[in-house]
Parts: sequence; structure tokens; C-alpha cells
Amino acid sequence: MTTTDTGARRRSGDVRPVITDLIDAATVEAIAAEAWVALVGEDEVLVPLPGELPVDIVSSWVDVVGPWTGSVVLTTARSTAEELSRALLRDTAPAVLDDEDVADAFGEIANVVGGNVKAALPGPSALSLPQVGNAPLVRNPADVCRLDLLWRGEPVAISVQGALPPLPGTTPTRKNEVS
Amino acid sequence: MRALVIDDSRAMRRIVTGILTGFGYEVRDAEHGRAALDVLDEGWLPDLATIDWNMPVMDGLQFVSAVRANPAWRSMTMMMVTSESEHTQIVRALAAGAHEYVIKPFTADAIRDKLALLGLLPQEVSL
Ligand SMILES: [Mg+2]
Repeated sequence: MTTTDTGARRRSGDVRPVITDLIDAATVEAIAAEAWVALVGEDEVLVPLPGELPVDIVSSWVDVVGPWTGSVVLTTARSTAEELSRALLRDTAPAVLDDEDVADAFGEIANVVGGNVKAALPGPSALSLPQVGNAPLVRNPADVCRLDLLWRGEPVAISVQGALPPLPGTTPTRKNEVS
Repeated sequence: MRALVIDDSRAMRRIVTGILTGFGYEVRDAEHGRAALDVLDEGWLPDLATIDWNMPVMDGLQFVSAVRANPAWRSMTMMMVTSESEHTQIVRALAAGAHEYVIKPFTADAIRDKLALLGLLPQEVSL
């Protein structure tokens, strides 16, 4: 597919792509849906509807380092992350899930979604081990592909976000127009 | 038949172990390649190893290379089970000596089909 580059976003020697040039939300949603069915359960669906995340949230993510560098981040309520972990472990789930069990299972979901997002991006790229905690900061609002989904009625956000700040002169913000 | 399940995720080890024990396998697991080599060094040689790629200490590709370097372990079939789904990575793993490649997310049916192809499915399951 060819697209016409108007030069509005990329100028002189700037070849760093932003995520929306490389992947669309529908592809990320399809990857997540497949991961959910295989890992969480056959009848488990992600509904593309926004929901309000509560205060007590947790994120899991993997970093992708390559022609595009950033993170694939899943964010949900702590209670939802626990429910997801329980669903993933099914009958092998211990009676009481400790924090490590939840971090492990929720991290593995990020690993599976992130690995498949990475494969859809130009490579070669390296994939980090999954991490769990407070999500990495969004460095460049133009370099984010975000999905707001509901699982069993609870909000789950998936963000594919660049790790690098915008290049000077590449963001059409008022601040940059002066320079 | 015996299988060694190698993955840094406890959840994933439980899932793969559940599938393989369902097929009649005796299963041990390891949280990274180094721990898996320790199991082999003990003399517990499985028919099958399922191998994650991204793990701390020793990753799946390093494990495959280490196994290939030891002729005593040649009978073990190595199946990558990983979210690394870039074509170049699949080629690297197969070139290093892995026999099969399963991309996460997978289903129990996908694992069964691969094992059937490898002749590693106990007969009562394959019927
Ligand atoms: Mg892993």
C-alpha cells in the first residue's frame, strides 16, 4: 500500500515512525481478542467500549526495542487483574492468589499480546521480560495507539506507546510553531 | 513419556503442564534454561522439552544451543512455545536446533497436533 507523505509530520531526515503509522487499533484489538480466548477462556470476549478505571489500578507491560521503540501496556483494576489471573490458571489456580501469582499471570498476558504486536511491527525488534506495576509514562501523545475495552464489564486499557519524546519540530503544537 | 516444561511464567508452566499431563506425560518444569540444564544434568532426560524464548538467566535460544552441543541429549525433541512470532526469530530457533515452533497464544489442540506430527502423542490420545 502506498500513502502520500505530505511532509507535514516528517521533515528533513526524520525517519522515526510513530505507532499509528505502523499498526492500527483494529489489529491490536484482534491480537488481544485472540490472546483472551486462548489464555483467559474460550468464551471470554473483550468489548470495545470505554469504562472508567478505578483508582486502584495495576499495569503489566513488555518493551519493544527496534525500528519502533516503546511498550505494550495493559492496565486494569487490581481486582480485575486478580480475576484475569484466576481465569488464566483455571483449575490449577491456588485457593488464595498472592501478589506474585497475579504479577506473573498478568505479566504473561502482556508478554503474549506484546509479542504478537511486535511481530506486526517492522523488525527486527527485541522484546523485554514482562514488568508489572505503574505503567511507563507516555512520552509522546502522538505515538500512542490506545484501546479501551471491557472484560466481564470491567475496564481494561491496552496502550501501545512510544518510549521516546517527540523529535523537535515533528509535533504540530503551538509551542513548536514558534521555534 | 516425559516432558520438561521451561518457562519463566509460573502461570504458563501450569497451563502447559496441565495440557501435557492430560496427554499422559510425566512432567517436570524449570523457570529458565539454566534450571532446565540442571534437570538434564541430573540424568532426567525427557522425550520432549517445551521452551519459552524470553526468560531471565538463560533464554530459550541459548538453551537450545546448549542442548545441541551435548550429543547425550540428542534424543530429546525441542518445541519452542513462545510469543516471539517474528518470522526471523522462528528461523533463528529452528536453525539453532529446535524441532517445532508454537506461537503463544496456543490452544491444547494446537499442541496436540504438533505432538502428533512429531510422533510424540501417546496412542490413546491420538485416536
Ligand atoms: Mg517468558
